[in-house]
Amino acid sequence: MFHNSSQKKYWTFKSEDEVEQMRVSANEKFCKRVLETAKPVVSASVLLERYGEEVLFRHYERRMLEFCNAFKPAMPKSVVGTALMYFRRFYLNNSIMEHHPRIIMLTCAYLSCKVDEFNVSSTQFVGNLVQETPAGQERVLEQILEYELLLIQQLNFHLVVHNPYRPMEGLLIDLKTRYPMLENPESLRKSADDFLTQAVMTDAGLLFSPSQIALTAVLNSASRAGINMESYLTECLKLKEDKETLTKMYDSMRRMKTLLKKYEPPNLEEVIVFKQKLEWIHAQLASSSNKRKRGYEEDGHVAKEPRLAAEVRQYSRIFLAFFFFILKVLVRS
Amino acid sequence: MDDQGCPRCKTTKYRNPSLKLMVNVCGHTLCENCVEMLFVRGSGNCVQCDTPLRKSNFRMQLFEDPTVDKEVEIRKKVMKIYNKREFDFPSLREYNDYLEQVEDIVYNLTNNIDVENTKLRMEQYQKENKDIIQRNKAKLTREQEELEELFLLEQQSNEQRRLEVLQEEQRQLQAKRKNKQALLDELEQSQLPATVLLAKHKVRAAQLETEIEQQKQNVKPTSIFSTGIQIRQNVSLQPLPRIEEVLYHYKPLQIETYGPPVPELEHLGRFGYLNHVRAAMPQDTAGGYTSALACYRAIQDAFSGLFPPKG
Repeated sequence: MFHNSSQKKYWTFKSEDEVEQMRVSANEKFCKRVLETAKPVVSASVLLERYGEEVLFRHYERRMLEFCNAFKPAMPKSVVGTALMYFRRFYLNNSIMEHHPRIIMLTCAYLSCKVDEFNVSSTQFVGNLVQETPAGQERVLEQILEYELLLIQQLNFHLVVHNPYRPMEGLLIDLKTRYPMLENPESLRKSADDFLTQAVMTDAGLLFSPSQIALTAVLNSASRAGINMESYLTECLKLKEDKETLTKMYDSMRRMKTLLKKYEPPNLEEVIVFKQKLEWIHAQLASSSNKRKRGYEEDGHVAKEPRLAAEVRQYSRIFLAFFFFILKVLVRS
Repeated sequence: MDDQGCPRCKTTKYRNPSLKLMVNVCGHTLCENCVEMLFVRGSGNCVQCDTPLRKSNFRMQLFEDPTVDKEVEIRKKVMKIYNKREFDFPSLREYNDYLEQVEDIVYNLTNNIDVENTKLRMEQYQKENKDIIQRNKAKLTREQEELEELFLLEQQSNEQRRLEVLQEEQRQLQAKRKNKQALLDELEQSQLPATVLLAKHKVRAAQLETEIEQQKQNVKPTSIFSTGIQIRQNVSLQPLPRIEEVLYHYKPLQIETYGPPVPELEHLGRFGYLNHVRAAMPQDTAGGYTSALACYRAIQDAFSGLFPPKG
């Protein structure tokens, strides 16, 4: 359940500033590392700034959403939500310049299918990339498999993601059962769904619990329809006495709505410019680092050498012993 | 089994899993072939530690770790000398001290710590307690003989019982055969009609069966329990000590969900939640699914973490 999940413990932050700070430090760390390796071509002006990264992130996020929506067979909403959350969490601690978002986005979707038990074979998965030839799809699949372990590592192996879809269903059931003042809660469903789809493109999942997001969605759609649902909070959730919790909840709902309002889809020209920069950076960096397997970088050397040497030693010892034995025989005779 | 190779020939152990390892007094292992190889040339030194060895000192390895084998050998030798029993000591504390002494000695000898001193201590102890050692040795042999006698007795009685059962079976078979033969003879010779004869035969067979059943019921009563205590002998037992403790009270686990309380699974139907969930179809209920399960999960998820944490 969410209350004792890793999401609550490690991946829910207190404020938008904290989240932004993590992204800034990831960017700075990468820039510092690249500049220290002292490639003369790469200077500070060529590297992407925080704004550029943000634009590209949003662009690739939309691309991923379109990919998941066009997926055959139809991907359940929770799988899409999990994939987007992985994408977001990955780029909290890593810079876009370091790992290209195109591969990461496909790897996130692939991993999310596995984790959420939405059974898709790997060939079926890459078959959804309609603009590639089968050989191209193979190559993409290889890349996905290379990056998978790195992705899991950067998620700190916390793979279970709680999405707001089931809490929304639960809230609707509860409304129907305990809140007779609202005649038709089903009418709220559509706009609440839209709210959730918008919310998944913001940082809301990193700041609030999924049930809070669902509640905000429902209340928002109710207020849009002109219905006042405050009595639900005070009566059914028994918050009449607990003013402090009530004010805190209203506060978080307000913050969430602001987050959604602040979201703007990325500007196409900016995207093109930043994308060019990104491709150039990746080309530069890919040529310098040799092609090691991603995620296996720590244990670079495999333990094959010592065993080979030991075998060589054994055989040489046997040969020597045989040689001396022959020698002895010859000497004796 | 293969994680240790023979330190001399190394390969042979991997290639020949049936090859046995032998261990000697210094605690190092050698495979059979190497042992013979070593003593063919007349030199008897251990490969790893260079202590002079005799071929007779090599024993078959019982344990995977040669140090364990070495310790077992040393312990056997030490226990031959240090063989006092619990009732030789006036109190439990002294017995434990004695045991600790023995363990110290074994440990020292196994790990080659202070070997000289330990050996001196052993000799001293042996000299002081010579007569006690002798007496205990005699007692040990006597006990072992008694155990062996009991064991023999038990085996003999088992044999006897088996023979008796066999004989009984033989007798029963013979009786049946005789019965059949008698029927055939009567059919041949007697003047009575065949049905009467058959009826008589059936009655006789039934009688035989009941006799056999009765005999089976007659189990010979034994007079002795398997531990050697006679039946109907009053054995005085010490009253068991009563241990009083605080009774255990079950307290259900409390988990903080940071949200409003969730109704129990069983009460969902009563509150009317189930009217708003898709009803379970017959295919679903066959596997044990009820609509309450899905409803409960949705409600739990909706309420979990709803309230912001206090403070």
